[in-house]
Amino acid sequence: MQDATSSLVLDPDAPSARSPDRSGVLRSAIARAAGYLPTQGPISIFVHHNTLHRFEDLPFEEAVIAGGNLYGCEPYLSEDRYRSELHRGRISVDDLRQVLIDDLEDEADELVASFGTRYTLRLAMLQMTLHTVPDAELRWLLAETDMLRQFRDDISAPRREQMIQRTRAWVMRDRESSPHHPARADAAASSAADPLKGHRGAAASRLPPVVESLLRESRGEKVQSWNEAQWEAFVLELLWRVCRDGVSAADLPSSSEAAPRQIRDLLLAATGDDIDALVNDVLIRCCGGFLDQGFATWALPHRDEGFARAFAKLYLQRMTVKPSWMEGMRAELQAILDGPFDPLTSIGNSLARLGVPPAEFDRKVCSALLALKGWAGMIWQMETDAPWMPKPIPQGSLDEYLAIRLILECHAVAEVGRRQFGTRDLQEVQRLAEVQSPRDRGASLEQRTYTVFQLAQVSGWTPQQLLDMADSQWRCLVREIEAFSSLERRRILHAAYERHYQVAALSAVASHSRRRRQGDHGVKKTPAFLAIFCIDDREESFRRHLEEVDRECETASAAGYYAVAMYYQGADHAHYRPLCPAIVTPQHYVCEEPLFSAVDVNQRRANRRRRIGQFTHQVHASSRTLIGGWVTGVFGAIATFPMVARIMAPGLTSRIRKSLGTFTRPPATELHLEREADEPGCAPESLGYSLDEMAAIVVRILQDIGVVDRFPPILVFFGHGSASLNNPHESAYNCGACSGGRGGPNARAFAMMANDPRVRRLTAQRGVEIPENVRFVGAFHNTCSDHVEYYDLDLLPRTHRALFRRIEKSVNETRARNAHERARRFESAPLDLTPRQALEHVEQRGEDLSQARPEYNHATNALTFVGRRQWSRGLFADRRVFLTSYDPCVDDEQGSVLARILAAAIPVCAGIALEYYFSTVDTEGYGCGSKLPHNVASMLGVMTGAASDLRPGLSQQMIEIHEPLRHLFVIETTTEKMDLVIAENPAIARLVKGNWIQIALLDPETSTLLRYVKGEYEPFVPETSELPEVDSSIRWYRGQRGHLDFASIKETPRQESLDELH
Amino acid sequence: MNFTETAFEILGTVVVASPVGLLAILGLSTLFSRPLSETSISRLTQMGVLFTMVPGIMILALMLMVGTRYVPVELGDWVTIPEQEFHFSLKFVFDRLSIPFLLLSCVLCGVVGAFTRRYLHREEGFGRFFLYYAVFFCGMVISSLAGTIETLFVGWEMVGLSSALLVAYFHQRRNPVRNGQRVWSVYRLADAAFLIAAIAMHSMTGEGDLGGLMGSGVWPEGVAAITSQQAFGVGTLLLIAVAGKSALFPFSGWLPRAMEGPTPSSAIFYGALSVHLGVYLLLRVSPLLEASLMLQALVITLGLISAGCGALMSRVQNDVKVSLAYASLTQVGIIVVEIGLGLRYLALIHIIGHACLRTMQLLRAPTLLRDYNELENALGRRLPEGASPWTRHLPEGLQGWLYRFGFDRGFMDIALDKWAVGPFMNLFRWFDRIERRATNRLSSENHRQSDRIELHPESTGRAAT
Repeated sequence: MQDATSSLVLDPDAPSARSPDRSGVLRSAIARAAGYLPTQGPISIFVHHNTLHRFEDLPFEEAVIAGGNLYGCEPYLSEDRYRSELHRGRISVDDLRQVLIDDLEDEADELVASFGTRYTLRLAMLQMTLHTVPDAELRWLLAETDMLRQFRDDISAPRREQMIQRTRAWVMRDRESSPHHPARADAAASSAADPLKGHRGAAASRLPPVVESLLRESRGEKVQSWNEAQWEAFVLELLWRVCRDGVSAADLPSSSEAAPRQIRDLLLAATGDDIDALVNDVLIRCCGGFLDQGFATWALPHRDEGFARAFAKLYLQRMTVKPSWMEGMRAELQAILDGPFDPLTSIGNSLARLGVPPAEFDRKVCSALLALKGWAGMIWQMETDAPWMPKPIPQGSLDEYLAIRLILECHAVAEVGRRQFGTRDLQEVQRLAEVQSPRDRGASLEQRTYTVFQLAQVSGWTPQQLLDMADSQWRCLVREIEAFSSLERRRILHAAYERHYQVAALSAVASHSRRRRQGDHGVKKTPAFLAIFCIDDREESFRRHLEEVDRECETASAAGYYAVAMYYQGADHAHYRPLCPAIVTPQHYVCEEPLFSAVDVNQRRANRRRRIGQFTHQVHASSRTLIGGWVTGVFGAIATFPMVARIMAPGLTSRIRKSLGTFTRPPATELHLEREADEPGCAPESLGYSLDEMAAIVVRILQDIGVVDRFPPILVFFGHGSASLNNPHESAYNCGACSGGRGGPNARAFAMMANDPRVRRLTAQRGVEIPENVRFVGAFHNTCSDHVEYYDLDLLPRTHRALFRRIEKSVNETRARNAHERARRFESAPLDLTPRQALEHVEQRGEDLSQARPEYNHATNALTFVGRRQWSRGLFADRRVFLTSYDPCVDDEQGSVLARILAAAIPVCAGIALEYYFSTVDTEGYGCGSKLPHNVASMLGVMTGAASDLRPGLSQQMIEIHEPLRHLFVIETTTEKMDLVIAENPAIARLVKGNWIQIALLDPETSTLLRYVKGEYEPFVPETSELPEVDSSIRWYRGQRGHLDFASIKETPRQESLDELH
Repeated sequence: MNFTETAFEILGTVVVASPVGLLAILGLSTLFSRPLSETSISRLTQMGVLFTMVPGIMILALMLMVGTRYVPVELGDWVTIPEQEFHFSLKFVFDRLSIPFLLLSCVLCGVVGAFTRRYLHREEGFGRFFLYYAVFFCGMVISSLAGTIETLFVGWEMVGLSSALLVAYFHQRRNPVRNGQRVWSVYRLADAAFLIAAIAMHSMTGEGDLGGLMGSGVWPEGVAAITSQQAFGVGTLLLIAVAGKSALFPFSGWLPRAMEGPTPSSAIFYGALSVHLGVYLLLRVSPLLEASLMLQALVITLGLISAGCGALMSRVQNDVKVSLAYASLTQVGIIVVEIGLGLRYLALIHIIGHACLRTMQLLRAPTLLRDYNELENALGRRLPEGASPWTRHLPEGLQGWLYRFGFDRGFMDIALDKWAVGPFMNLFRWFDRIERRATNRLSSENHRQSDRIELHPESTGRAAT
């Protein structure tokens, strides 16, 4: 992985040997290298972000290669996976053709050898499975398998027949025309000794020597009586020899990269000893102890003095047993304690000892930090970006970590050198390792032959045709094949994989919006009520079902923090936590308080909670100690009852727990939302918002969702979150717009603001007049259990209660239907559940201690639609789309509303999609592997098993149904406004121009679509205008597990199909 | 009372036959490449556990009714070589010690089986996990009921094998395999000691029957039928076996390494059952301890040292699973002390309570962040620092040393590598060099062909397929 570091990290301003200021050079090298560390902070505040964020300056296709090289990860799915998608029709051959033509542009028709164009060759290579095997395996294949006796399995019978037939006809004809006599045989034998020259001069009237000699070997005198199998073997053997001769005549140098390698890789290759294993074993424990946020009851001594001093004090203890390689470190550690310790000087010295020239500093520093990228990244995050953690770490910790790491590396190298080469001199070890490590020699003659051989079978190139090729043609062919390497093939296959979904999605949007435009009669009705959700893809199905249940309602969406960026503390919470996107730093503090009349009750319950908490904590903490453990151990059998109950009957147990919880839960509460002081802060009088600020928030959200007039009597705002057990990644399942928190309080606060008559007076001044009879209600949707709760219902006027009951009824029906649609993706849920049973099923999942997949989170995300609900209403998008409301009619000429919507939506959605992308294509490298052996470490992240690097990214259980696609944004706007947004927002520009996301524009007037391709907008022509139309969602998805195509849900379904639901 | 005897015989056979049957079905279906579905595997497992537990409870009830405290079930001598005084007899015993341990195994295995069914859903190695699980369960039942030392050894080996394989469950990664191997080597050492002890017992008493060794009397009232010296010899060997199996000092190094498997296997094996199996053996042969005061002292010392180390190491760990593993060790050490002091019933209660509690804690381990957050919310502030009062009053130098001791896991692994594994490897490398030199001279060329083989590490294509 270090091989690629050079090309990446060596910027023009990289240090050179002439630079005198070594510590400055080192400082910048460390700063650059730190940029490549994972940016995931503590796991309790999980923020989805692009895994290759640091590479966003490069185009996507280059970045995945560069990042893959740096981290040793895969850029795309495997070729086999794409090929199986090809076979099951997820990628069509048409997609391949189109993508290949677009990719090759003018070079498509270039002739390759004598068989066809580059395009046809590549298309054939894309569709076949091209095996590449090491030499040893190839020898085995040749000797022990039927490779030279039978055609590959994927060759069709007619093609096989044809090849055999042609070769047979050719051999027989040419043989017939030259009767066999002894003298000829001798001539053939002599030229066979030099086959390279021999057969090329052969006249058409006689067989080339290579054929003759093979005939002789396979007892050609009986050629007339050969059966089919003998001919097949003959053709293949001949094909192999011809390919071999041709490739050897082409005489191409094998491509081998001779990048200088790091000493660790050299030693690993030469001796099999991994110095990183030695060093990491020590550092994992040290980093864990150093970063620990209070799990260990005995914290690392002297941790406040910094990493280096704590480490030195720890390892300078006398009377200890050290592994032999760490024995020589005493002097260096003592120096850290004695003098003023400068990590940069120490790093410089270690680099000098390791013989790293200044020009290589960047590479070495980068590889040293990436060797434990999870822990190093967490140190960097804690140092720079997490001041709110209970146990912060001092500045400069990363430098000290690096200094210690390099000291350890020096000693580890010396130890391996002593063991393997008998020297402790680092330069000498490096030299010997270089001599002894095997070199990568690139593809051998046999391997190249094997490639051509396979390709010849699949493409039907007969030996005769191949024999006619000149050396230069062979050279061209081999070069052409090698130019289209596995990596290139995967790139094209991936583009085809994406194109298939993109075409389907855009065609569906085009047809559906046109259909809706035709059905639209221009009369805008006021809906019965309006439900507003987060843009989250998981709410797509909820909204669709709600609109199916109550056809008179409408839904809309905005980023789920509803512009209320705050630090929030619930009535039973110990701390404030931010509820807003990670890029925003909140200024305001809001806390939940018991109602004034219930203060006493609240106090009693809080005391009860505290007592129970103290007892639980006592039991928990002392169960790990000597005496306390004895007590809890002896009485531990009592733990059996809750354990058995929770695992055998999770649903029942949680109901019992809930009913017991009423004795401790806070009573009725309200938000402390209105501020008395001038400036916001966390003092009691500075909590909350001023009326002006509230009005600004209300106006902003109402403009964003395009609701500025025709208000229905009730608007319900749904925040969302997710509760699950046994899940260290729980916060990743929560609302992304609340930086991994639960968005209920945001919805509640927004509703309170919008209900305030004083705020309404202010909004009216800003042009949004909210009539007096309009009420806002806040609610919370748990996306795991599909539970919904409403806030502050007591404040709802009597006149609105009937309508609210109707809403509640519809929402309850929707919960069941939504659960039903979700349940089809869970293999452990039978497909024949009714909606009610499905609701029970998902409720149980969240309470189940043994459930590794409480829900699938964003696993199905693929698309974002920014525009009026009018166009997407009733479009079955299979929970794969982030829906963002935006009404171009409410926007101004500069598109300022669009700009502020996209400024949040594009980075957030792209971050989610790209994190899923990378965690899916390489679950072990970019993701955090299987969640089954995860082990919470230092309260900051998860390790795999007993000791490993910290694992950022998503787990295999989270991504298993994900299709890794670059996110497609369909935005209802004009090219001018979009260009303006791109020009003014550099983050968006990088993502768009680097092809990290795909953009399509939906024309607000005509519903035609434009695709953004390489800086230009190209009209999109739907490949099909047919979009299936069904009565209800359930009819479309019922009985199926996999991803589904788009469909239109009819606005007025037949009655009987609705009755089926119950 | 012919009827009750027949009933005991039948029920006892069912108890043992059920896990063996489960293992046979799961194993054979894998052997003949007829993998079962997730549902049928978990159904079979549930049935296997149920058919062990219910007859076990029935035997208990019957024993209480009849008033007997000792029910042997003999399945005959399988190998007998009278001249060598060797025989292999299968005999199972139901008494006050084995029945509670059997029921504990059933309850915990049942719970973990149910847990794993959902936890490992869709996992590639689902069948493999349950196969190992069946080996483990079978081993637990056999060793808890074993009436002869050779029977106990069979169960003991099965538990050891399945534990090591489950540590290495994620065999595509490097660390689990390496750690699994390490666990296995420590187990082998314990096995060797066990085997020698078994042979020694055979030659002393002429049979391997644990009852015979204890002379007359039913557990816990048995009196050893051998001399004090003999008891000390056999006892020391058994103590090595116990220390290896229960990760006591100085073998504690493997305990954290065992946390590589999926969470439920860590819970049941290292938190609950496997780690207590060694102690169970000690409890089974506890009459031996009374025969030798020295042995008793040795047991108590070992227990105290292990408990102290465990408490120290658990305190220092910053990750939840390893911390719980060492917390287990602490209690196992205390149980050993209890046995050494002759408090056998207390030890038994302690084993049961501790196993249940630890299983629950380990199964909940991934919920740690949420649990801590809820605790903080309930307390309304950050959790209090947990520094123990008596470590705070130690001199600073000693504190630092103790921390380092816990941090480096008692130096046990390092010392083992440095002073046992290292010299051993060096010796054999030296032999290798001698051999090479000799053979090269004899054949007057570089004779070893394996040197010339070029390694060709396959590409580790990790892309999702």
